[in-house]
Amino acid sequence: MSTEIIEALLAMKRQQVMDLIQQKINIGENPFAILKACQEAMEQVGKRFETGEFFLSELIYSAEIFKAVSAYLEPMLIGSLREEESRGSIIFGTPQGDIHDLGKNIVITLMRASGFTVHDLGVDVPPQKFIQALKETGSQILAMSAIITPAYNSMRETIELLKEFGLREKTFVIVGGVITNDLVRHNVGADAQTLDPFEGVRLCKEYVAKKAIPHADYR
Amino acid sequence: MIPEATTRRNRFEAAISLEAPDRIPVAPLLVSFPIRHRGLTQGEAWRNLDMAFEAMLDTFDDLGGFDVLFKTNIYWPMLGGRFCNAPIRTLIPGKQLPEDALMQIQEVELFSREDYDKIASIGWNAFWEGHYEKISGKSLSKLAETQNRLMEQYLREIGICEARGIPVLLGVAVDSVLMAFSLCRTLTQFTMDLFEVPDKVQAAMDASCDDLIQNALDTIAITKKPLVHIVLERGSGAIYRLEIFERFEWPYLQRYVDAFISSKVTPWLHLDTDWSLNLPYFKKLPRGKCVADLDGTTNIFRAKEILRNHMCISGDVPAPLLTLGTPQEVEVYCKKLIDEVGRGGGFILTTGCECPIDAKFENVKMMIDIAKTYPGKKREV
Repeated sequence: MSTEIIEALLAMKRQQVMDLIQQKINIGENPFAILKACQEAMEQVGKRFETGEFFLSELIYSAEIFKAVSAYLEPMLIGSLREEESRGSIIFGTPQGDIHDLGKNIVITLMRASGFTVHDLGVDVPPQKFIQALKETGSQILAMSAIITPAYNSMRETIELLKEFGLREKTFVIVGGVITNDLVRHNVGADAQTLDPFEGVRLCKEYVAKKAIPHADYR
Repeated sequence: MIPEATTRRNRFEAAISLEAPDRIPVAPLLVSFPIRHRGLTQGEAWRNLDMAFEAMLDTFDDLGGFDVLFKTNIYWPMLGGRFCNAPIRTLIPGKQLPEDALMQIQEVELFSREDYDKIASIGWNAFWEGHYEKISGKSLSKLAETQNRLMEQYLREIGICEARGIPVLLGVAVDSVLMAFSLCRTLTQFTMDLFEVPDKVQAAMDASCDDLIQNALDTIAITKKPLVHIVLERGSGAIYRLEIFERFEWPYLQRYVDAFISSKVTPWLHLDTDWSLNLPYFKKLPRGKCVADLDGTTNIFRAKEILRNHMCISGDVPAPLLTLGTPQEVEVYCKKLIDEVGRGGGFILTTGCECPIDAKFENVKMMIDIAKTYPGKKREV
């Protein structure tokens, strides 16, 4: 039946996915295993996106299915997934001056589907709030997404503050959004930049897998 | 300087007709940039549109002048009581946003999935006549008063610009049907609708297309500027597969283009996001009548290969380059555009979408100066 869930999700059949999950729960299946099946489906979505078989619309749609599944399963999962068992912890927000969140929300869902714990700080986030969240959570990844150029200053200030607080060396900073490119990455002092949601997830996975390697490897 | 052998307007029109004028026409899309450049806050500009207009004219002069002013001020001219665009909620600097912030839109659902049937039965205009007050808390007649006031201001400003020899381009801005619906439902919900209730979406679009076209034409009848800025962003291959484009964007865009060209109005296709996959379709639109306006995301050099001798291209000095780059980098990029996209004509040098609020003045100036001074490799002696 896991295969059926995966197939239904890849076929973009929201109701079918939800019905199958309901059936599984009714017969006593482990909710964590169901979540894992959905995560596997999302991995497949990512692969198909990278090959061009899927488009952003499929990412949006499948992310919505995954959100609905997670919301349904969450009460049954409490206590079964501790943060230290997650793939890693990420602080994510739209920097101060920008209130857009569509891209951020899609990437957050994909990151969660990949097993990351994501702390979503929302939009128009001041630099100090990013620092505070990093300190409070011990997260080692900071992701910022923006679509208007005034966000450059906020990104730059946030990264400067990271240095002031001695957090820069142990924080992987990734930026994205339509107004970012490599020039922006370099200018604001980030480690990585992407416009591709799944590449963003992949870069975070790689960082977690190779934490010991200096930031320069990602530039 | 390249010796000028024609008027600003003729240079611009020649490029649209795929000719190679005396030099490449240049026209940055200025909205928020002049305000900051002239030392005003965005809030001040929104509170005093006359000051904003003055800032536009002063910036035009500071930049040494260029070929056409896309529009005269920070607002968009609109038709009283009708909508050429989704009636999105805008957040205004000094009101809902900090005093010197960039105006932004707040994307929220303006109608529900259940409303598609109603739109399908009564059309776009009739739907909003009944629905606008519900979502905004404001009366449509009150909004119409504001829209009419802005239109009067726009007409005054056009008169002043043209008395100074500055052509103004914009007759009206209209959302593509897909864009309008996506903004009304939000990108996420609209995408869900396309997957789950495509027939309902299509029926509502079918019933809305003619209203949107007519609203645009009625606006142009007032502005007397025969250019329609068609906002296309969300129907591209960056977001949807071609089957969706073919069903929900392309047929309506064709109807738009046919209607506008029949009325002697130039369709300016404002193509934000990456339209690479969709460009071949544009070869089916009438030759030398439209402009493909690219924002720096679509590969403009590849676009030239596809649309050469068929559609004028405008673009696409990217926002990061104007804000963070150096004048030398802007020079290199603009020369490349002129050499490759400008070769053989049919090219207008513009900013990729709007000139950023925080673009460096010297970068914008460099972009304009290059158009005036660089003839391109083919013409160099």
